[in-house]
Amino acid sequence: MNYLKLVNFEVNRFIKIYIVLLGITMVSQIAGVIVKANQYVGDVNQAIYEELTPKAEFLEMYGQISMGMLTRSMWFTGPIALCIAALLFYLFLIWYRDWFGKNTFIYRLLMLPTARLNLFWSKITTIFLMVLGLVAVQLLLLPLENLFLRMIVSKDFRTELSIIQIIEQSGYMSVFIPTQLLEFFINYGIGFMVVVVLFTAILFERSFRFKGMFLGIVYGVSCTLLFLSPILITELIGVGANYFYPNELFLIELALGLIIVAASIYVSHFLIKRKITV
Amino acid sequence: MIEVRDIKKKFGRKKVLNGVSFTANKGEITCLIGINGAGKTTILNAIMALTPISGGEILINGEKLHKETYERVAFIPDAITMLPQMTIAEAMEFMKDFYKKWNQKRADELLSFFRLKPEERISSLSKGNTAKMNLLLGLALDVEFLLMDEPFSGIDIFSREQIAEVFTSHLIEGRGVIITTHEINDIEHLIDKVVLLDDGIVIKDFHTEELRAQEGKSVVDVMREVYRQ
Amino acid sequence: MRANFNNRDPVYIQVIRQFKEKIAAGMLEPGQEIPSRRELANQLKINPNTAQRAYKEMEEQKLIFTERNNPSRITKDEAVLRDVREELIAEAVNSFVTAVRPINVPLNEVIGMIEKKYKEEA
Repeated sequence: MNYLKLVNFEVNRFIKIYIVLLGITMVSQIAGVIVKANQYVGDVNQAIYEELTPKAEFLEMYGQISMGMLTRSMWFTGPIALCIAALLFYLFLIWYRDWFGKNTFIYRLLMLPTARLNLFWSKITTIFLMVLGLVAVQLLLLPLENLFLRMIVSKDFRTELSIIQIIEQSGYMSVFIPTQLLEFFINYGIGFMVVVVLFTAILFERSFRFKGMFLGIVYGVSCTLLFLSPILITELIGVGANYFYPNELFLIELALGLIIVAASIYVSHFLIKRKITV
Repeated sequence: MIEVRDIKKKFGRKKVLNGVSFTANKGEITCLIGINGAGKTTILNAIMALTPISGGEILINGEKLHKETYERVAFIPDAITMLPQMTIAEAMEFMKDFYKKWNQKRADELLSFFRLKPEERISSLSKGNTAKMNLLLGLALDVEFLLMDEPFSGIDIFSREQIAEVFTSHLIEGRGVIITTHEINDIEHLIDKVVLLDDGIVIKDFHTEELRAQEGKSVVDVMREVYRQ
Repeated sequence: MRANFNNRDPVYIQVIRQFKEKIAAGMLEPGQEIPSRRELANQLKINPNTAQRAYKEMEEQKLIFTERNNPSRITKDEAVLRDVREELIAEAVNSFVTAVRPINVPLNEVIGMIEKKYKEEA
């Protein structure tokens, strides 16, 4: 099927950079655990064996080391921020690189004997596979890192945390690794919607160039306002945040999200089929 | 038959195509001639739906373009249309993956005809070899029509001769060809039909042999009359 | 066969003319096989449809003939061959006479010059 061939092709185009990103993340996080844990052990040794501080007093002053703590260090947030930045950048690059440079691959893509919307789907699928890939690697890394921590720091000096606890304590990880399935669908659903709207805006720009950039921004802002309208309205008319029942708000947002996604796909289909220009 | 009917196109306020009409038949080589900026490339892009038009219509065998049209009409742009990191073999593989009409036998034949090395990377090809690879990717499709944008421009004389040979060979036998050029000398005897463009309109449209028989003029004579005014 | 064609006469007529010259000169013999249309187009670097038209015309003039799927051949018809030769000679003489007449040279003088020139060249 052409869609799958295109996905495979798009993934292959990014795979090298992606592997580098994964590598940086793995090395940095594992190194972070080792360095931080050894530092901590060093501190413990100095305090207890050289300065003869009682253990209880030390623990009271410095606290136990935990994975949750480590996830908030630069060793973790750095590479994760890098991955996020790279993927955000790639959201644009995945389209624009087909037009720019000496090789105008967009000719080839637009002339494939397949529905052009498949290009749109293949690019969005690629982005999602990349995001989910990073999350999966993070999920595999956490137990491994936990193991390293356990090997370096003795039981008395560390807080034993489950993976879920680590994610919760990190603060930010629960955004991409929610602990509830529904939350997972909400977060990734919103993510999907944002990408679909952004791609539509990019297609506006690629179709009408300068004018299209303006149209794209207007489209993006309109979608955002529409999606946030239930919340904005309650704030604006001053009826307070709890004007809707939580479930009611959820259903309204779900409906709005679906409308925005459907409209964006419809518009994208029209643009890529009739208005796009090489 | 490819029918271009009264197509119009604007870039900003500039009218690039101002009602262009012509037909290109199967089994004939139709040549769009115009000095640079006459909108030749835009016409080919419009036929392939690579750019929208603001008026008129284009029919291919009586139908508007749809996705299967790309199995019937191949476009060979004057640009590199594969990724630079690909080898020629990989570019061929890409075509084979997506097109039912890919003819591997012909592709291999073209490879040796053009003396291209399949393992060579596209980024390291000379201009002439890039043009040949582009031609290969188009000619190896069993399509009814071939559109070629400036196949002779900016390449060495030997590559030009080799490419000219394509036009007299079985490689385009029975197919309809539209080529654009701003330089007629090399190919005056190779083409069937000329569509002369200027300022976004068709100035003159004729079969070369008829022009010679009826008016005793060469294509260049007519171009001189048209563009000197 | 490789030739430069002029750009102002139909190419197919120039192709036929070449064939006639070769037939008249004996470079193409009666019954000799000739290239296919495509081969000819390729050799002369001309449009295949033009080659096709030249062959069609030559078949109509009975200069060449094609038996079923075999390659085309030069005619064996003596009368046609003679005609070709005579036609070319007549044409050449005509154009010569047209060129010389305005100069008002006596015929004897011209013949003498022709004889001299002809022997020099050979």
